[in-house]
Formats: sequence, structure tokens, C-alpha cells
Amino acid sequence: MPRLLRVSIIALIGIVFTPLAPAADPLPEDWAFHPFQRPAPPKVNNPPTSLHNPIDHFLLAKLAEHNLTYAPEAHRQTLIRRLYYDLIGLPPTPEEVAAFVNDTSPQAYEKLVDRLLASPQFGERQALWWLDLVRFAETDGFNADGVRPHAWRYRDYVIQSFNADKPFDRFLQEQLAGDELYPDSWDAWIATGFLRHYPDEYNAVNLEQRRYEIITDITDTTAATFLGLTAGCARCHDHKYDPVTQDDYFRMQAFFAGFWPIEKKLFTPAQQAEYDRQLAAWQAKTAEIRQAIATIEEPLRQKESQRQRKRFPEEYANLLDIPFEKRSPLEKQIAAMVEKQVYSGAKDVSKSLKGTDKEHYDALKAQLAQFEKDKPADPPQAMVMTDLPEPPPTYLFKRGEWRKPGDKVVPGYINVITPQDAVAEPRNGSPGRRAALAAWIASQDNPLTARVIVNRLWQHHFSYGIVRTSSDFGVAGDKPTHPELLDWLASELMNPTVVPADGPRPAAWSLKHIHRLIVTSAAYRQDCRGQATGANIDPDNHLLWQFPRRRLDGETLRDAMLAVSGQLNHKAGGPSIFPELPAELQKTTPAWKPTPDPKERNRRSIYVFVKRNLRYPLFLLFDAPDRNETCARRFATTTAPQALTLLNDSVVLGFAKAFATRVTLEVGTDHPKVVDRAFQLAINRSPTEEERNAMLAFLQRHQGSPTEAVVDLCHALLNINEFLYID
Amino acid sequence: MTIQQPHVPLYHTRREFLQRCGNGFGALAFAALLAEETRAADTKVDIDPLAPKKPHFEAKAKRVIFLFMEGGPSHVDLTDPKPELTRRHGQPLPASFGKVITPMGTGGNNLLASKRKFAKYGQSGMDFSDWLPQMAQCADDFTLLRACWADGLNHVGSVCQMNTGSILAGRPSLGAWALYGLGSENRNLPGFVVFTEGGGQVFGGARVWGTGFMPATYQGTLFRGGKSPVLNLDTPSDVGEERQKNKLELIGELNSIHRRERPGDTQLDARQAAYELAFRMQAHAPEAVDLSQETEKTKEAYGLNRQETMEYGIRCLLARRLIERGVRFVQIYCGAGSQWDAHADIESNHSKMCLRADQPTAALIRDLKQRGLLDETLVIWGGEFGRTPMTEGSSGRDHNPYGFSMLLAGGGVKGGCIYGATDEFGLYGVEGRVHVHDLHATILHLLGLDHTRLTFRHNGKDERLTDVKGKVIHDIIA
Repeated sequence: MPRLLRVSIIALIGIVFTPLAPAADPLPEDWAFHPFQRPAPPKVNNPPTSLHNPIDHFLLAKLAEHNLTYAPEAHRQTLIRRLYYDLIGLPPTPEEVAAFVNDTSPQAYEKLVDRLLASPQFGERQALWWLDLVRFAETDGFNADGVRPHAWRYRDYVIQSFNADKPFDRFLQEQLAGDELYPDSWDAWIATGFLRHYPDEYNAVNLEQRRYEIITDITDTTAATFLGLTAGCARCHDHKYDPVTQDDYFRMQAFFAGFWPIEKKLFTPAQQAEYDRQLAAWQAKTAEIRQAIATIEEPLRQKESQRQRKRFPEEYANLLDIPFEKRSPLEKQIAAMVEKQVYSGAKDVSKSLKGTDKEHYDALKAQLAQFEKDKPADPPQAMVMTDLPEPPPTYLFKRGEWRKPGDKVVPGYINVITPQDAVAEPRNGSPGRRAALAAWIASQDNPLTARVIVNRLWQHHFSYGIVRTSSDFGVAGDKPTHPELLDWLASELMNPTVVPADGPRPAAWSLKHIHRLIVTSAAYRQDCRGQATGANIDPDNHLLWQFPRRRLDGETLRDAMLAVSGQLNHKAGGPSIFPELPAELQKTTPAWKPTPDPKERNRRSIYVFVKRNLRYPLFLLFDAPDRNETCARRFATTTAPQALTLLNDSVVLGFAKAFATRVTLEVGTDHPKVVDRAFQLAINRSPTEEERNAMLAFLQRHQGSPTEAVVDLCHALLNINEFLYID
Repeated sequence: MTIQQPHVPLYHTRREFLQRCGNGFGALAFAALLAEETRAADTKVDIDPLAPKKPHFEAKAKRVIFLFMEGGPSHVDLTDPKPELTRRHGQPLPASFGKVITPMGTGGNNLLASKRKFAKYGQSGMDFSDWLPQMAQCADDFTLLRACWADGLNHVGSVCQMNTGSILAGRPSLGAWALYGLGSENRNLPGFVVFTEGGGQVFGGARVWGTGFMPATYQGTLFRGGKSPVLNLDTPSDVGEERQKNKLELIGELNSIHRRERPGDTQLDARQAAYELAFRMQAHAPEAVDLSQETEKTKEAYGLNRQETMEYGIRCLLARRLIERGVRFVQIYCGAGSQWDAHADIESNHSKMCLRADQPTAALIRDLKQRGLLDETLVIWGGEFGRTPMTEGSSGRDHNPYGFSMLLAGGGVKGGCIYGATDEFGLYGVEGRVHVHDLHATILHLLGLDHTRLTFRHNGKDERLTDVKGKVIHDIIA
């Protein structure tokens, strides 16, 4: 090649490629706020494995830059166990493992994935991380920790939405503004429970502060959950580098300023009419008795109300004397919080009665009770959110302090993304502010929404997100390890292009589509043991040169023990259950009354009552968050109390005993059979010769009864690393 | 895989791991491991989150004992005498005070004089009422903060703030921060131990010694009474030690096969190590709480021979034993479940509570001093707030977060030092005010930690115990 030409080619290459060559860090700090387009998957030379979908192109191209590649594909036993725990949160049975391992059809893996995605248990598994994000709980928190008897409907709503693969844009709009957007759908109303999960001190007296804390909680949870933004900093000051300003923050608070929490009856008009008819009949029959009771109760109630009123600063208490319509919007909100405490209709005021008064009162109550059968059952209810038609003004609070109001602000979007005030149209008696916010978040033009949710799905499957700080896409968060892949997945969520072999084109915003893409990728099918050089080049496995092993969370651990011991009750939905506590804890915790029916108790962990002041101990021990604030990713700590619990806790020992009973029932007492079956059930593979020998030797040398020996074997299996860690 | 998880105990090499195993079942169950080839130990990372760490600067205090009088002791009846309050008994607060918000709406009520007799004690002439005669004798060991203030009105928020800096739940507790910053000197016992006294449950529950957004590694461990202080510490009696040992051996064997096939995964090593620590706890915790090793004289000093003082005395004595064994942070809730909360009758409530709290507290300070431990041990005495000078009902007092007392001793604070003052009635702090954040900043400072540098990254923020506030009260540091 003539010298001149060679030089010019080099020069040309320089010109063409310099802008594309990876600079040290080409992503701007505020990358997440910029719009994005679908990047083309890079070409991969000499792929080590079949490239199942574009995910692999992005990952392998990056690995190749570092002279790394995927680990070999994992064994089928490993894959089925991984898929089961990931998608439905339960172990496969030995029969299911065998069927998959022996399925020679080319689409065996994809068929398994589709079956699990279609399983009703899929939503139960996925709901857990969503409920962490939205700080779902069934009590108020604080000291009183009052029960929220209807909160579970939101949990069921999430499970059903994930199972039905409700498009994510709809899912988020229902939660932010279901009351405004879809007033005819009970589901959409229930979804607004998202806005109700804030911890609440119902007996607070400093009510303006309380109101501010509530709106702050709603704003921060919304920003973190849907936008991956940690808005908390901006509440107090403008961050030096962050595009989200204090003004942005309070403009976002303004969307929620008119919040008006209510309990909604879930009745059709016909049901309502029937209820009203029955109630009227009951009222007519009992009018006299109830009048007599009221005559006794009313003065007592008045007295109690007066007493309660005195607890409040006068300007709050006096609001009660102003008719509702005459109160300002802010006064309406404050007064509602006072009224809840002052006029507590449910409160038993008769306790102060004595002697004949008491007898007389009790007799009346007994009379009334005779008509109980005629009284219609209370309507089913949901805890929902709507707004006052006219919301109170919002002020920018200086340094975030509610006593220091600054300028008035109106609802508006994050300026750097959409420099506009919100245009809200009243809907269904509500000002429509939240509908405007929901539409903005659900828009395909929002640069955050799709990226944030696909990143969460990625985190669910690979332990870490492409952005490792999955609720912080701001400048303080981590940058994506694979920005193009993130954008590609986000684009694919909004506008699907990859069509499954024998399936229809996925719908826009289908989360199952993204789940399917991820778990059918070659990246996901890798073994946990990658090449040795990986540990040196990329010790944190950012590039995914092997599949990251993970520990089960507490909820899944309990489900697994229930499943393995053959006790799991698959019943779905409905009010929450209270599994038994360890005996010692039960003594000191009368508020936790175990569900009497053991079959009911043995339902999945997602249905365990979420009490803020007493998270179920096993869950807490294995890093369940306390649900007081949004949690984007759980820790996986390793502590001695975990070991003590799995070894000595009576509930765990109960699982071991049931497990042993199951094994003995299924295969008898023959040692080799017992060992094989127990190991298969717990670990989802056959033991190796070495493992089998270790277990046989254990049974052999055991000094106790044969039953005890099997119980101890089963208990040991629930304790070993391979039971808790999924390859 | 060597994903760094700095809050999880990770052991790098088997050798190191085995070194930490001690005796017991580890020796049995892991004998097999010794034979295995030792893994390459090239990569050096800080693998043990609880390993003792160097403070930011030289520490005055190495350990903390926080005696938490839950419910809110009344400073105007204990440590902050107010002659003007006595003079104006039965009258309302002067109009200049404006409207005072309290949880029970007692802001406009009349003033209630203290019925207690106050005297000055020690060389410093620190005031104590006759409800705290023993602690009064330690006057010259105390710094008395007289103008503490907090943000919450109600118990749960205020207990939460005194522990975590915020009235809202979800943040790590002071003890967790200390453990996170300094690690633990004793690896056979938890580094942060909590006791409750009085049979109730602390308002806010286990969260107030929890870690909030930090990993659970740093949380407080609740010690119960009896020989077995930690939940699930004992092998169930129907299982027995022989079966337990045998079972552990099988677990160890299967784990070692599993780990051999998965070299380099420090999480798996850590989990095996956790079983080891559990085992060592089984061995060491009962010894640490075994009071039979204490002399009768010591027990009497702590009031173990008297019904009123026994429960709290036992815990104070246990606190000393744990501190001696290198536990970093011990917290005792005296009157757990808000028993100091004297809304109805200050006289009957506080005479009972002070009787419980006074002698053991004083005994602890004397005992630490005598053993040369007080210099390095910071003792804190106080509640989540104080009480109002106004009456509630005829003879009670409401919550007062606006001005109240806390006592500090040892750990590098001045003895006989009175810092700050409340107004003439004891309602508001008016001079030398110390917010909870300031108190926390000072405690961390005494532990050698700069509260602005002790941070934990969470949701995009470098979080601190003191949020963005807090100033160290240098005037009380010796």
C-alpha cells in the first residue's frame, strides 16, 4: 500500500471513529434526564454461545472489550431452580425437574419460561419487590400502629396486575390517579392505595407538621418509585449538580396538596340499594332500642369529645365549629385529622357506667344484639385517595421547614425534562392534578419512567440493576454499566419489536415481555462459575461474566420451607394471615394472634400481615425492610442470629419435622431412598456420590431414634448453603 | 465470585476463617477443610465489617452505656430547681410565653410547683432533688446538660429521635452508627446490646435500636433476662447437644463440598462463619451474663438485693460486664414502655421510678470508676424529653421537648459541669441549648468520630446521624 494512502486511511479512521471511540466516560452526569433513542445492538464476533436476543449482543460486546466472555450455560437442574425462584419464588418439585431435564424439544427452556410467566404464582413473587418500593404495610406505624383492615386489597391488586401483565403505563396511572382517570373501575380506586401507605401518627396534635410529613412521604415515594429520583435532598436545598431543584421538588408536592384519604365502599348501585333497604329495615326495627342507647351514650361521647378537643391547639380545635363548606382547603384537611380523634364513633364510651346504669345499658345492648342477624354486613371497603376539589396552596418551604413558607408554587414538572406547569382538568370531582402528573410520568417521552422500571426488572433477575442505584438515577447515583442496553430495553418496553417464536407481538409496556427477554437471554442462562480471569478483571461482575449467585430473602425462605415440607397452601388473595411466632416471642406479643387454622397459616409469605412495628421475625432477620419508607433493593446480610434461628427456632424445627414426615411417607425409611428424596426436594438435584455418602454416614452414626435421624437430616438440609443460595 | 459486600463478614482465606473459628464444633465440622488446599489470598479487601476500625481522631470514649429513662423524666423535679415555679404555683404562665403546644393540650394550664427538696452536691454544687440521692453523690462525675431540646411531642417520635436523630422511623440508631464507625472489639458477642427493664415494650419497638437503611449487621441485639440472653441461643432441649453437634457436622460437611465447587465466593464463607459466631455466642454469652461471678458486695451496691432496684440493677451490672468484654454500645431502657410518663401524678410515678433508677445508676458509675473504666466509657442518663412546669390534671406533667436535662459521665466529659439553662419555669431552654443533633454530634466526637464524616450512602445521599445539622459541644469536653 502506498504510504500516502495508508496515512490517509489512518487519518480517515481517526476522523470517523474518534467521536465514537469510548472516551474515559462519555456519559454526562445528568444522562438520565436526556431523551434517548433505541440503540442498534452491536455486532458480536465469534459469539461463545447462541445469541438468544439483543441483550446478549450488548453484553458480549462489552465483555469482549475486556477480553471476557460468558460462563458456559448452566445445567438444566440449575436453570430450572433459578427460574422457579426468580419467576414464581418457589422451588420446583423433583418431578418438574425431571420433566424439564428430559425434555428434548428445542423450545424446552422457552416453554418452561412461558409456563412460569403464566403461573398465578408469578404475581405473588413479583409483588414482593413492588410492595417494598411502595412501603406497603397494613398498620399505621408509630406507637399506636393502628390496623389498616382494607390495605390488603392493594396487595392483591399488585399481584393481579402483574399476573395479568397490565401495561405498566396503565398500572402507574391507576396508582397515581385511578380515582380521577378510571372512576368506574374498583381496581383503579384500590390502586390509589399507593398514595395511602404513608406511616401515620393518627393521634398527633401538631397537625400542620403531620400534613407536611404525609405529603413529603407521598412525593418522595412517587419520585423514587416511578422516576428513580431521590427527591429528598431537593426538599431542603438546590443540589450543586443535580438538575432537580428545590422549586421542582415543591412543584411536585403541589400535585398532592389536595390529598383527601377516604375509605371507599366497593358496591355496585344494585348492591348499594339492597344494602340500604336492609339497613333501613334494621333501623326501623331497632329505632327505639338505639334511641335508648344513644340517650345514654351521647352525653358520655360529648364529654369524651370535649376532653379530646382540649388536646389540640385552639386554632385546630376551633375548626370543628366551622361548617365544612366554610373551611378553607387547608382547614378541611387539618379538621379531618382532628375529627378523627375527637369524634371516634367506634370508641366504647360506656366503660365509665356503673351499677344499675351499666346493667340497663348492657340489657339494651343485648336487645340490640338480637337483631344483629337482620343487619346487613358491612360493605367491602378499600383505602383509597382522592382530592379536595380545591387544593390548598403549596409553598416552597425554606430549608424544607414547614414553618418557613416562601414563594407559592403551582404543580409543575421537573424543569430540566419538561419546563412547564401542569395543566390539570378537574375529573370526577377531583382537580385532576394527579392525572396530569400520571400522564407525564406514563408518557413515552419521559426519559426516566421506562428506564427505571426495566432496570428494576434487571435487578430482580441479576441482583443488581444496570444502574446499581435503582431508585437514584440522579447525578448522585451510579451510572449505568450498559447505557445502550438500558435504553434498548426501555425502548423495547414501550415499543416491542422482538416477537417470541410462536407467540403474538407483545403489547406495549408489557413487563412480562421484558422478563421473558431477560430470562431467555444467554446471559441469564450462564453458570455461576465464570472464567478465572473474570475475578481479576471485573471483581464486582459488572459485566456479567458469570451469573450472580443470590441468597433467598426471608419471605421466599419461608415459602421454600413450606413447599419442601409439603405444607404450602397455594390459596391466593384475601385478608392477610398471621403465622405462628416462636413461642418465646409469642408470650410478649399478644397483638400478633396466629391464624387458628394451620392450613391458612401455611399460605405464602406475601399474604403474611405486614405490621410495621412487628415485621414477621424470620423476614426481618433475612433483611426485609421495615416498610416505613421506600426500599429499592434489599441487603443480604449474613449474621449469627440467622444461624441461631435456622438451627434452634421452634418454627423452623417444625418445618424440619414436617419435611421428614413427608419424605418418610413418600419413600419409606430406607436410608438411600430417604437421602435421595430429601435432597431432591430441598436442593432440586440428586446428591453426588460424596454428598450421598456424607448423609448416609450421618444417618448411620445417629444416636437417636430413626425418626429423629431423618428429622435431623431434613433440618440440616434446610440449613445448608445450597438451600439458601441459588446458583 | 468476589463481589465486595462490605457489610457482610467476609473471610478471604480459609486460614483466616479457621483462625476465627475457635474450638467447638468448628474444630470437628471443619477438620475436613484443613486438608483442602488453601485458597489464594491475593485479593485484599476489608472483609469483616465488624472488625475494630480506627476512629477519625483520637477517641476519648471507647464505649457507651446509654441509660434511657423512657417516658420522659421531669427535669424540674430532678435536676433543674425553679424557685420561680414554686412561687407562682397555681398561676398561669406569663402571657409573654404565648401559646405552648403540648400533646395533651396543657399549654394553658397553671404552673405546678415541685414538691421535691433540692440541694447542691459535690465541689461543683450541682443540683439534685431528694429523688436522686445516690446519683447526687456522683455530681462531680457528671456533666449536666440543662437545655436539651428535641423536635417531637409524642413518645414514639421522640424516642426515635433520641436514638436515630429523626422523629420519623427508618434511620439507623446511635449505637448502629457507633458500630458502623468503630466495629466491635469482642467478636464473640454482639457489639451493640440492648436491655429493657420494667416488663414493657419500648415505644417504637426494635426499630429504635435497628439500622434503618443500613444493613442489619450493625443493629442492636436485645438481651433478655436469664442464662440465655439471645433469642434462639440454646439448643432446644428435645434435641440435645449430641444431636445438635452431629447435625452441625453434616451441615459443615455438605457446605464444604458446596464451597469447594464454588471457590472464591466469600458470601458462602461468610455464612459458614456466621454459624461459627453463633456457636461462639452460645459459649460466651451465658458467661458474660453470669452474675454468679460477682461478689455479694457488688450485687448489693447495684441493688440486686432489693425488689425495687433488682431488675434495673441487674442490667446495669450486666452493662459493666459487657463493657469489660469489649462490647461497644450498651443501652438500657429503664421503665420500658414509657413508664416515666407521669401525666397523672408526678409524685407517685417519679418516686417509684427514681427509686428504681437512682441507686443502680450511681453504682454503675462508681463501679466503672473504681475499675478504671469510666475514663473510656461514656455513660448517658436521660429520657426522650422532659416534662412541663404546667400541671396536667391536678398533679401530673405533660411532655416537654423544649428544654430538659441530660446527664453525661465519663468518656471524656467534664465532671461537675453544668451546661445551659432553662427559663425561670423550666419550660424552654434559653441558654446553651443542645439539640438532639448536637448531643449526637458530641457523643460521636467523644468516640473519635466526626459526625460530618461518618456517612452512609443511601438513596443518593451521604446520610449522617445528624442529618445536615449538629454541632459538637466542646465546652463540656475535658
